[in-house]
Amino acid sequence: MQRASRLKRELQMLSTEPPPGITCWQTEERIDDLRAQIVGGTGTPYEGGLFSLEIMVPERYPFEPPKIRFLTPIYHPNIDNSGRICHDALKLPPKGAWKPSLNISTVLTSIQLLMAEPNPDDPLMADISSEFKYNKQLFMQTAKKWTEEHAVQKNTGVTESNKENTPDQKASSRKREALHTQQEEEEPTKKNCV
Amino acid sequence: MEGSDSVEQGGSDQPESQRRRQLDRLDREEAFYQFVNNLSDEDYRLMRDNNLLGTPGEVTEDELLHRLQQIKDGPEQQNNTPRTESAEEPGEQPESSEDPAGGDSLLDWLNTVRRTGNTTRTGHRGNQSWRAVSQTNPNSGDFRFSLEISVNRNLAEQQGAAEGEQESPEGQAAAAAAAAAAAAAAAAAAAALADANPNPNPNPNPEPQVPMETEVVEEPVVEELAVIVEPEPELEEVVSQEILPEPPSSPAVLPVQPTLPPSPRRGQRRPRSRSPEPRRTRARTARSRSPLNLDQLEDLPNPRHAPSSQGPSSDTNAPPVPPVEGSSRTRQHVLSRQSTADSDAQQSRAGAESVPEAQNVRPQEGETAGGEGGAAGRRPPTIMLDLQVRRVRPGEYRQRDSIASRTRSRSQNSNNTFLYESERGGFRRTFSRSERAGVRTYVSTIRIPIRRISDAGLGEATSMALQSMIRQIMTGFGELGYLMDSDSDSSDSNRGASTPADLTETLNNPDATTAPTPAAEVEEPPVAAGVRARTVETDMDEGLATAPPASGGRARPRPPISLEEPSSLPFLRLAHFFLLNDDDEDQPQGLTKEQIDNLSMRNFGESDALKTCSVCITEYAEGNKLRKLPCSHEYHVHCIDRWLSENSTCPICRRAVLVSANRESVV
Repeated sequence: MQRASRLKRELQMLSTEPPPGITCWQTEERIDDLRAQIVGGTGTPYEGGLFSLEIMVPERYPFEPPKIRFLTPIYHPNIDNSGRICHDALKLPPKGAWKPSLNISTVLTSIQLLMAEPNPDDPLMADISSEFKYNKQLFMQTAKKWTEEHAVQKNTGVTESNKENTPDQKASSRKREALHTQQEEEEPTKKNCV
Repeated sequence: MEGSDSVEQGGSDQPESQRRRQLDRLDREEAFYQFVNNLSDEDYRLMRDNNLLGTPGEVTEDELLHRLQQIKDGPEQQNNTPRTESAEEPGEQPESSEDPAGGDSLLDWLNTVRRTGNTTRTGHRGNQSWRAVSQTNPNSGDFRFSLEISVNRNLAEQQGAAEGEQESPEGQAAAAAAAAAAAAAAAAAAAALADANPNPNPNPNPEPQVPMETEVVEEPVVEELAVIVEPEPELEEVVSQEILPEPPSSPAVLPVQPTLPPSPRRGQRRPRSRSPEPRRTRARTARSRSPLNLDQLEDLPNPRHAPSSQGPSSDTNAPPVPPVEGSSRTRQHVLSRQSTADSDAQQSRAGAESVPEAQNVRPQEGETAGGEGGAAGRRPPTIMLDLQVRRVRPGEYRQRDSIASRTRSRSQNSNNTFLYESERGGFRRTFSRSERAGVRTYVSTIRIPIRRISDAGLGEATSMALQSMIRQIMTGFGELGYLMDSDSDSSDSNRGASTPADLTETLNNPDATTAPTPAAEVEEPPVAAGVRARTVETDMDEGLATAPPASGGRARPRPPISLEEPSSLPFLRLAHFFLLNDDDEDQPQGLTKEQIDNLSMRNFGESDALKTCSVCITEYAEGNKLRKLPCSHEYHVHCIDRWLSENSTCPICRRAVLVSANRESVV
């Protein structure tokens, strides 16, 4: 119940004063399943893209962090093929940095920041991370390409309604699967972020 | 954000019913804060520790008030009940079973125990005398509860039975003297016991046990942190006593107790156990020994009384002497045992000294009076239940002689020891059975990941599973059933034998009887023995006849059954360990209740600048109870307490709340 009352307040805040470039809403009637969208920051390879995220609020929230993952494929050192995010605010201490004084809004903001400032020293995708470190140009190219392929297309319809999103999401998930198969061979070495 | 505003807004585009619900909830939230504000510190802690507060808006104030009253009334009742139960248990198991019915009451009781720290209660009922000891170590949070029930039968019967049985196991001692007469008496007694036991066992065991079980279960949950402080004065004494009987380690002992194969095993086990963990091993070893000792003691006890002063020196010299006089023999055993076990030996010596005391105690029971050779035989069967909750810190239990390792070593060394391990639903259970000198010890250990317990405790599904497990364990039948289950999983032939249905049989057949207890740690039984050692000794005499399972309520009824076979001297000691496993590194480590309570609290006043609790994102209202962390950050007490129970840093600045817990590493 604590979760419910707190989420209610949080959603209220998100709707009244959402962080710039971020929108978050409840899916249907479920209070523990939220959707969010983050606008790719200008000056980043994600510029022009609109990235959808899925937010699952655990029963013990806010004593446990929300579970957030990208629905939109994104080429990023700290985000894996299934959209999982390597971010300390999304994990409980001692490994993570979640604390009850954080909230959905702040976590989304920090993810937005993570997109602009990847953390190659704590990589989830080792290959992308090394590329980011040693061949940034290539990284930027690939990331932009991915943004155009997966995040930009949605852009037009996404803001208008969620329903229009679904086809896009399906398409993107298909792509993601394709990517999965492609990169699966490299998987073992990729995941350093625990 | 005023909750009311949000609610109303939300309600605007929602059905009227929903809106009403939200308004109701708002009212309840309001009432919740008021309720918490009006609670005394003591009441608040009581409710918090029992997870009765829930979250704001969850329940009505009336419900909260009801809960508070229940918990307040409960503890006393429960306290009484457990004790009364213990008292009753010996006499009437059914009653005990009723007690268990109030599962929640157990929690209350546990809480009470915690508060009171160390308590000892004793009582008598008819032929039965019980003694309940609860020990809490505020520093470590260890918790231990042990219950001893001794059944005194007619002196004549007891004596006869005890002598006959004792003699048979040890083969010599006092039994020799009274052998013929005793044997006859024993047979009669055994028969009587058997008659009496069979009925009681089936019915009483399950029920009575249940209560105990429930208690146990609750304990672990509640006390997540609680560790059992094994060795306490009592334990030491017990140990010493136990040690005496344990002589098995020394060859001399063996001769004395030729019939008791377990003794040698014990000796083996002991050394091993000792090596792994000094503390635990001692206590445990003592415990383990105690059972044996008990048996021996039973025979010996009487001798001890008389010879106690004399016996030690001479006995040490001639451990095998047994045939001569029960008293002397016992002493000898003790001595030999002592010598074998260094520290243990010392303890044992002390125990030996204590033994006389124990003997004295025994007389109270009625049979103890017979302390001399004749008395030994009289000792009543004792059922000992020992519950310990301890927190295992990461690596601690592996590095030290973990229970598991001990058990393993034991099993390897001793033929009589059986280990069973199973893992279900995240709980690792180990069950071990050891038999020495006609005393069987069952130790069950359950490892519970703290995470599961830490949260809502009983409310969680895992806790439910835990509860059921505990109940099973507690209940003799349950244990059997449990074992059976575990057997099915692991296939333990031995345990299989000890299925509930078989229990009665096992009781009758000491050899066959292996009380299957889930994760058993041999060591534990000894502990119980330690506390109860005295009683055990007395019991031992009777114990020969009786094979009472550790579970108090159950054991009582059963003992008589076991008596049927004097030669077997089935002593069942059941010890249950609940280990809260910290193994998980991921597991955040929270503060103990004591540590949390030490943090300052205050009431929010209007004069304070408007502030919001960052945990629930709710503005403080006047009268709200706030807790202020060392870093000056404040929260609702009920909000921050929950966080701190699992974490040790400030939710805002992440500074360690405890100086000792300074972990700047926590980013």
